Amino acid sequence: MALWPRLKSTFRNLFHKPRVEDPLEEELHAYIDIIVDERFAAGISASEARRTVLAEFGGIEQVKQAVRDRRAGVGLELFWQDARFGLRQLWRNPGFTIAALAALAVGIGANTAVFSVVNAVLLKPLTYPDADRMVQFLRASNLLASNLVNVRELHAYQRQTSVFQDIAAYDIAGPGFNLTGDRPEQLHGIHVTQAYFRLYGAPVRLGRTFTPQEDLPHGGEVVILSYGLWQRRFGGDPSIIGHSLQLGNEPHTIVGVLGKEFLSDPAADIWLPFQFDPASNDGNHFFRVTARLKPGVTLAQANAQLNLATAQYHRDFPQSDPKQQFAVGMLRDSIVGDARNSLLLMLGAVGLVLLIACANVANLLLVRATGRNREFAIRAAMGAGRGRIVRQLLVESVLLSVTGGVLGLALGFAGVRALLAVSPAGLPRIGEDGSAVGVDLRVLGFTLGVSLLTGILFGLFPAFSASRSDLNSTLKESSSRSGAGFRHSKARSLLVVSEVSLALVLLICAALLIRTFIALRSVGPGFDAHNVLTMEMSLNGERYQKTAGVDQLLRDGRERVMAIPGVEASAAGYWLPNDVEDNALFRFVGRTTEKGCCVTKWMSITPGYLGLFRIPLLRGRDFTENDNAGAPGVDLINEALARQFWPNQDPIGQHIMRGKRVESIVGIVADFHNSGLARPADPMMMAPIAQVSDDYTAAYSNIQPLFWLVRTRGAPQLSIPAITEQLRIASAGFPVAHIRAMDEVMGRSTARQSFNMLLLTIFGAVALLLAAIGIYGVMAYSVAQRTQEMGIRMALGADRSVIRNFVVWQGMRLALIGVVAGIAASLGLTRLLSTFLFGVKPWDPAVFVSAPLILTAIALLAVWLPAARASKVDPMQALRAE
Amino acid sequence: MSSKPANLLQGTLDLLVLRALGPEELHGLGISRRIGQMTKGTFLVKPGSLFPALHRMEEAGWLSSFWGESENNRRARFYRLTKAGKRQLEVETEQWTAVAIAMTNALKAT
Repeated sequence: MALWPRLKSTFRNLFHKPRVEDPLEEELHAYIDIIVDERFAAGISASEARRTVLAEFGGIEQVKQAVRDRRAGVGLELFWQDARFGLRQLWRNPGFTIAALAALAVGIGANTAVFSVVNAVLLKPLTYPDADRMVQFLRASNLLASNLVNVRELHAYQRQTSVFQDIAAYDIAGPGFNLTGDRPEQLHGIHVTQAYFRLYGAPVRLGRTFTPQEDLPHGGEVVILSYGLWQRRFGGDPSIIGHSLQLGNEPHTIVGVLGKEFLSDPAADIWLPFQFDPASNDGNHFFRVTARLKPGVTLAQANAQLNLATAQYHRDFPQSDPKQQFAVGMLRDSIVGDARNSLLLMLGAVGLVLLIACANVANLLLVRATGRNREFAIRAAMGAGRGRIVRQLLVESVLLSVTGGVLGLALGFAGVRALLAVSPAGLPRIGEDGSAVGVDLRVLGFTLGVSLLTGILFGLFPAFSASRSDLNSTLKESSSRSGAGFRHSKARSLLVVSEVSLALVLLICAALLIRTFIALRSVGPGFDAHNVLTMEMSLNGERYQKTAGVDQLLRDGRERVMAIPGVEASAAGYWLPNDVEDNALFRFVGRTTEKGCCVTKWMSITPGYLGLFRIPLLRGRDFTENDNAGAPGVDLINEALARQFWPNQDPIGQHIMRGKRVESIVGIVADFHNSGLARPADPMMMAPIAQVSDDYTAAYSNIQPLFWLVRTRGAPQLSIPAITEQLRIASAGFPVAHIRAMDEVMGRSTARQSFNMLLLTIFGAVALLLAAIGIYGVMAYSVAQRTQEMGIRMALGADRSVIRNFVVWQGMRLALIGVVAGIAASLGLTRLLSTFLFGVKPWDPAVFVSAPLILTAIALLAVWLPAARASKVDPMQALRAE
Repeated sequence: MSSKPANLLQGTLDLLVLRALGPEELHGLGISRRIGQMTKGTFLVKPGSLFPALHRMEEAGWLSSFWGESENNRRARFYRLTKAGKRQLEVETEQWTAVAIAMTNALKAT
């Protein structure tokens, strides 16, 4: 059929009904009148002629309806009728509508919020050119797995040009840079190799990126600015190129400014060239390497090539860890990291909440459909087809779910902000303050899809159930109201059982995470974090490339801080005790060991560090001010290291070699959690900062800030101004950054667990509420339907308490079946949760007993109210009603 | 208009209406009588089939309608073929002929 006339007719048929209907009426009457005229002319009386013609015609209204049914747009018109009727129905039952919309809005809104974050973090492609070919280099051995690389390895990678292009190195956290001058400020900067800007497709706003010469040793002090810093510090001055930036009192020439749209990971204010020496033998792993696969090269091919490179590397550097293996993984996976699991857990949990909401709404609809049985039976008797009734119900439920979806979308917006507010710091890829998490087509599509699917899912069930019912029995049933709709009650029972079991699954997961959080919080870290203040300082500049310069600063700074009233102890170190990430290789003096031995966690500290954190010294002695550069080398070890390497002898007085230097072990300290509360203490060694080599000090000035630590007698925050002032004087003008109480640092270390727990607890509570409403709805309805039956029973002498217990038992039977099913499902599902758990087993008996008990108690409450109502039925009234 | 005459085969009604309107403009009753004439009384089209078909074909753009005077001076709605309707008549005639020949051959075959 031609499109245009059809569209025109559709429009006319829908919107100009009289212009279609009136001529039709006239046309049909003309048809009849012409025949009547002819018969009248043939001699039949006018009335007789009309009667016979009308009889032969076969009913004017039926012919009109036949014409209407063939008209263009009839489907649309029927839909419109159904929708209007549905809206009227919803409007007339505000209680039902509000309950259903609230359940849907919560279910869809929670899903939208979580999906928005999942979308931004996991699904959206990286914004770099050919990001699907960007890979990150990984290093694995049985000692440690990490994506940090050293210079030797970088050079080995850079030779693999058959599979990679644009191989670039960049450091991650970095110590920060002291922008000195009239407004001192600590800047976030990263060192990069020359290929970095090409690899990431960084747009250049002004000037240029680094030349190959500038990335070689003595290539000059050059710097590239971010758009933000350029605007903030220089007001977007277009002639900034060639000017100098004072970093750590040394001038750096500005050669370029990057474009506003460039989002680096990690974010940075400035970029500096690494200037690696091609002949460098530096074994420190302190930067990451990313590259792009050549077109057509797969990840597997690249890894096969890296296997060969690993073998070559071990031939070139026989002293390297022999178990070490090179590999690459997709960059996106590295950036997303372990946030992935948390987010997938959330998605699974909100999915369950949505299912429960659906079951709840289906239940409400089913209850309502039962109430409307007579309406449907009458419609069917008047000739409405089964399809028409199913369509009516589907249109109503889709109407409901789409409205719920719109509300859910609004709720989702608010939810995203709430979610980001409580989410652990450092969720990757969400932009500044979560600006990258927003509504895009994918989120809208997801919400719309979820709403429609929900509508169809929960609409279909009551629709078929209603349309299947037998006309005759329905009409009879509704005249005598005892024992309503057996099949419906079965369907509703099934929904209640599934609601209860899903809610129990969520509740058990939430309880397991709560136990995890409590277990983590009750772990003694092995040190005392109260009243300790931590501050970071970047040691830039010539003076701090030598150990002596750093040592001088530390002695001076600690002395000045100790003089401040209220300060109890002061110390410094390159790591905080809860998170030590450096390793050191050592050998035993006078003992042969296998190749590759031995590696341990390692950090350098000032005297007083142990005392400040109240870490017990078990035997031997602590470091003192006399353990300086001129004195013999000394080390402290923890119990774990003592157990590992000196199981049967006293380590104190034993000698080890680190590099070329011989050191003796002077003391053993108690284990403390040095790699997060969830893991046991790793074996660890400590050395005085004053005794580390100049190479080491120089390398650290580029990798890691120095942590100043102060223990105060009262709340540490009060002393902050005085302490920062003294440290600024001691360092000749350097700022301190990230001033935090150690308690806060410890709180952040469990932020992810607390986030998981909080969200799952909220979802569990919502699920519990929805399940309770579901049970209540079914029982209340059932009691209302059976008032007459209750009345008869009472009239025949049944006790009120018998009636009540009967109703309670009916409801609780459903709840208990749901609980059993929920426990079974949880036993299977909680195993998936095991990576999130700490200090609690996935089948923790306490959880598997208490969660079902809580749910059962709530269910009992939900059943009790209708049961109590049933037992108060007045038999005479119940019998007289209807 | 008894029910004796054969049920209209699916699709034949359109062709008969188009054919009836081929030479002249007719109102509803006229079309119905013209079809009776053309088929020598084999097909009698009832109003319940005729009017839905006419309206559908008009919406499809094959027919156009206008108000005119019947033979006995009654105001009646007349239909005529449009250009698209004439094309459709040719197409359907061809198709029907092909089907008819094929059916005849099939029934003759032994």
